[in-house]
Parts: sequence; structure tokens; C-alpha cells
Amino acid sequence: MKRNYSGCAVCNSTWGNVWAEVEGERMFFCCDICATQFRRLVDRVKTETGWSTLDSLEIAGDRRGRTCVAGSGDESFRCFVAFTPQGEIRIFEKLAR
Amino acid sequence: MTSCPACLRPLGQGDLPALAAHLVEEAEESDPAHVRWLNQNLTREKTTAAELVPMLERVYDLGSGTLKGWIKARFIAKFYGPVPHPFVTALQHPSRATLLGYVVEHQHFLRQWVRSCAYIMARTDEPKVILYELDNLNTEYGGAGPTRVAHYELLLRMGESLGLDRTRVLTTPPLPSTREGIEGWNRIATHQHWVAALAAMHSLELIANRNLVDDGASVHYFDPAILDSKEITDAATNFLREGYEADVTHSDEALDLVNEFGSRPDLRDEVQSTFLRSIDLFDDYLLARLQRAADFEA
Ligand SMILES: [Zn+2]
Ligand SMILES: [Zn+2]
Repeated sequence: MKRNYSGCAVCNSTWGNVWAEVEGERMFFCCDICATQFRRLVDRVKTETGWSTLDSLEIAGDRRGRTCVAGSGDESFRCFVAFTPQGEIRIFEKLAR
Repeated sequence: MTSCPACLRPLGQGDLPALAAHLVEEAEESDPAHVRWLNQNLTREKTTAAELVPMLERVYDLGSGTLKGWIKARFIAKFYGPVPHPFVTALQHPSRATLLGYVVEHQHFLRQWVRSCAYIMARTDEPKVILYELDNLNTEYGGAGPTRVAHYELLLRMGESLGLDRTRVLTTPPLPSTREGIEGWNRIATHQHWVAALAAMHSLELIANRNLVDDGASVHYFDPAILDSKEITDAATNFLREGYEADVTHSDEALDLVNEFGSRPDLRDEVQSTFLRSIDLFDDYLLARLQRAADFEA
């Protein structure tokens, strides 16, 4: 899956040492909470779009809320997401393309 | 004694190199509280402990100001920056759901509040601090007859005015972030120096301090216009007005006491770290109010 961050897939931090498998790929996260957030986000995007896989996921923003652009084949999907301190989705809004 | 601002582990007095080494070590284990603290307060880029030391010095430095000023500035930066905390944004013109989320979670918060303040009273020798806490506890919890109803009771009445029975409020368990906050504040009140606990608890009353805008806060806790409109119920007005009126003196007086008793070099960094831990707990707790509000959204 193509991502825009070289550090933690959610927050780009390079602290920590969590390696978790998401969509069959080993990815780096700064902590378990970011790993949970990423998994929840990928699952939610798949549910909303009906896609079976994601080819790309770009994330921008901070812990107060993140804007995401997901891609699969030649389709794309934009959303806004915010999480609880435990990493569950608190707000999820589909955005216009 | 310095404490770690992420876990409150005691470290040597003023020993920022030991704190830096501890943070790096815990981050290596991916501990979420330590990684978060590093990410939000120092840097997202993994560095050595030696490189963290000057960053820590900048965080803890009071410059030419006071401990009170440092606490206020940090609090404003976290909750009242250009983008305020999402709960504050929701409270500007609150929906019924937002106010009910506030009621359900805050009931738990206030019960811990009493415990924390009682510990401070039990552990201090300063009459000024005891008198301050007695007054605070009466306003928040005890009340004084029908003309001075406690904040806790006003909270429950606000819930009732919005159709939420108090029995249901009192039997709803806290959300995880509220529970973690309560456990954290209880630990602070029982393990940290009493003046550090005083700073950790009463700095939180800055959230409703209407004078904070004079110190650079981007907005008030809520739009004061709602107090004179029909936008919210009378009971909600009474609850919010009480905080609006009490919390200026509550937070200012407490921070004056923190300044007076906590500025000593052997206490100051413990006060600072304990405050930093407390505002992280509070940030999560405020999100729990919003999370709970979602239960009441139609
Ligand atoms: Zn992360
Ligand atoms: Zn620690």
C-alpha cells in the first residue's frame, strides 16, 4: 500500500517500535494505538467504498482530526477521521472529491 | 524531585539527562504515553537522549516569568490554541447531546475531584491551602443551602432538564478515558507532593476561566451569549454560569498558592511534570465527553 509517511503510517513519528501486519504488509507504527487507528481506518474505508483492497492511503492533519485520500485501481475516496484516545473511530465523514 | 511527565516515575532532582534517558528507553518499548509525550512536546523524530536534553530544558524553563504564568501558557497552548480542543468547540453552542455527554462523564470526574482535594487537604500543613480547598469543595460538591447549590447538583439538574434521569447518570460506568483520568488523578493526589497535586487539579479549572482570553486563549469555554439566550435550558444556564463565575477565582487563587509553595527549586520540576501529566489526562477525558455525547445523538 502506497503511503505518504516514511515514519509511523498514521502520525509519521519515528519513535517506537511496533511492526504490525495490515492488508498483508508489515508496517511501522510508533505505538499500538496508532496501529489500531490505521487498521480501523482501512476497514472503514473498505466498508464505505466496497473495495476489497487499498492501493494507497495518504494522511494529513494531526490528532485532532486527519484528512485522508484512499485509492484503489483508478478510483479514489476522501474522508475526515478522528479517533478516541484508545484508537477507535470517533468521527468519520466522507468528503467531496 | 523531577518526575517523568508521562508516567510520573520519580527521577533525581533537576536531572533532565536521566529524564531524557528514561523517555528514550520507554519509547523504545513503544509505550504509548511516552511516545505521545515525545511526539507532542519535543519531537516526532527519534533522536538520542543527549539531543533531547536541551529540548527538555526549553520545556521546563520559566524564562523571566513565574510558575503560574508557565502553567497558564502551557494550558492555553494545549486547549485554547488557534484550533481549540474539540469539546470546547462543541460547547460554544452546545447541542443536547453535548450537554448530556458532559453530564454523564463529569459526574465521575467530580467524585474524584472531591477525593483529590481531600488528599491535598490531608497532606498539606498550610492553613491557606486548607481554607482554599474547603471553599472549593463546598462550591463543587457540598453546596450551602438552597441559594448556593453545589456544582455537582447543578450538573445532575442540567441532565434532568434535558430528559436524563439522575439514576441513569449515577449508574452509568465511565468511559475508558474517564476511568484512566480518575485513576491518574487519584495517583497524583496520593503519590505526588501535595503542591504538585494542587497544581495538577486546579490548573484544570482554567478550562472555564473567562479571563483566559486576556492571556491569549482563542475563545471562551462557551459563547457567553448562550447564558442570556433561550438556546439552552435554564438548568444548563445555571450549571454553566456557576463555573463561569467560580472558576476564575478557583484557578487563579490555586495557581497563586502553587506559585507561593511550589516555586522552590526542589519542588518546581515535580509540579511542572505533574501538571503536564494532568493535562494529558484531561485532554483525553474531554474527548470522552464527546464520545459519550454520540450516544445521545438522534
Ligand atoms: Zn504514530
Ligand atoms: Zn515515564
